[in-house]
Amino acid sequence: MNNSRRHFLAHSAAGLSLLGGFSSFAQASLGKAQILVIGGGFGGATAAKYLRLFSNNTANVILIEPNASFLSCPMSNFVVAGMRTMADITSPYEGLTKHHGIKLIRDSVSAIDPDKKTVKLSSGSVLSYDKVVLSPGISLMMNSIEGLAKANQAGVTLQAWKAGPETLMLYKQLAAMRDGGVFAISIPEAPYRCPPGPYERASLVANYLKQHKPKSKVLILDANQDITSKGALFKKAWAEQYSGLIEYFPSHNVAGVDAKTKTLRFEVQDDVRADVLNVLPAMSAGEIAIKTGLANANGRWVNVDFLNFEATAAKDIHVLGDAIQTAPLMPKSGHMANQHAKVAAAAIIAQLNDWPINPAPVVNNTCYSFVNEHAAVHVASVHQYDAQAKTFKSVPGAGGLSSESSNTEASYAWGWAHNIWADTLA
Amino acid sequence: MKSLAYSVLLFVSLSSSCWAQISTADQLDQQGLAATCANCHGTNGKGVPNASIPLISQLSSEELLAQLLAYKSGTRSGTLMPQLTKGYTDAQLESIANQLGQKP
Repeated sequence: MNNSRRHFLAHSAAGLSLLGGFSSFAQASLGKAQILVIGGGFGGATAAKYLRLFSNNTANVILIEPNASFLSCPMSNFVVAGMRTMADITSPYEGLTKHHGIKLIRDSVSAIDPDKKTVKLSSGSVLSYDKVVLSPGISLMMNSIEGLAKANQAGVTLQAWKAGPETLMLYKQLAAMRDGGVFAISIPEAPYRCPPGPYERASLVANYLKQHKPKSKVLILDANQDITSKGALFKKAWAEQYSGLIEYFPSHNVAGVDAKTKTLRFEVQDDVRADVLNVLPAMSAGEIAIKTGLANANGRWVNVDFLNFEATAAKDIHVLGDAIQTAPLMPKSGHMANQHAKVAAAAIIAQLNDWPINPAPVVNNTCYSFVNEHAAVHVASVHQYDAQAKTFKSVPGAGGLSSESSNTEASYAWGWAHNIWADTLA
Repeated sequence: MKSLAYSVLLFVSLSSSCWAQISTADQLDQQGLAATCANCHGTNGKGVPNASIPLISQLSSEELLAQLLAYKSGTRSGTLMPQLTKGYTDAQLESIANQLGQKP
């Protein structure tokens, strides 16, 4: 229902009888509306900031986030490979409170009630809302691989895919590995968070091993039939820089993990044993989105209206980032989550002002991957909203890949990181 | 004391001028469009200094538009910008330049 239609219904006798069963049907005005942003990653933190900017600092915005600081998945592969510290990928949330007047609640959300329009926090408090922006990130489906949940809990395998304690633990396992040892990373079938991320991780780990433990090996066990992003660029770098060090195995779908022997079992191929196991299972929308009944795309991802990122399963809950069923060729990346957040924030402010929502939003993606400590490659795309298809479509002829890896791209990659961290949080 | 109050006032007004007031749907749409550049070039075009990505906030709207169109047409080379500008219409690039560039 568009805004003017909703407005009409809410103010007419017919509307009142039609919507009589709803506890809340009229849109609260901008100054009075309570907007809860759940999740302080690239999507949520950006949404909180831009809700304030787009409303001339008048929107009431509360950000709910359990972590004390923001931990960046982009650049976390440098920590895994021992080239940077956790401090280098950590940013405070203070900019959002001090510079933008956002209220920050350090807690997690245990339940959302879309009918009563309330959010329950793990501490027990209940908050009511007019709008929710939900940026829950991903959930790792540990039960999709036999034995993985236990193996990961015991630290025998690690994911380190959500940046945090496991990021550093993975480096420590790598540092403790003997020269001549095997590091194995497994990749689930797409879609998963950060398509080129596993290949970058393999490259940087190989870079570390080449310097410190040159007899070792990196095995990439990919459930996909080929590299899912920047394939030719990665293959070239591996052939030139890590010949004999990196081995790539396509169509290798992990079925089970034997924690005692550190062995991976596959659907078809022979078992693989490794000294350090970085097993990435299939992924889905963050748990709270699934629990709230929003994941109506295969029970894994959240379908949204791309004009405002409102979940198709629940009114006034706008879902961003990796948790959504993306538009075609739209990757699950931090950059993209930041872009979703701006479209959603603008649409929410328009709605609360009783203005029409922008009918033609545009978003872009830029993504850098390092092939060694000093050289990177990129992929870029631009996505314009298509009103007929009701989705974003990538613009033909725009975007593309680097022609080759370079130090210039590496320096832009770090520049991108510092700027997106600031655009999201400062 | 008077001069201190004046400097504080001046600072506040300079700070707030960094972000234009939005009072129409059209202004909101334009700010939203320009914000698609902010991931790399900083919020409202004010990037992190010394972060290696060129700072664009000192350029005029005219200079900015000329460079965006040069990237799009291929007369100016680059890594990402020639690829990204091709995804925007000329009218969108003009709107972005007007939002992020310094007004005369």
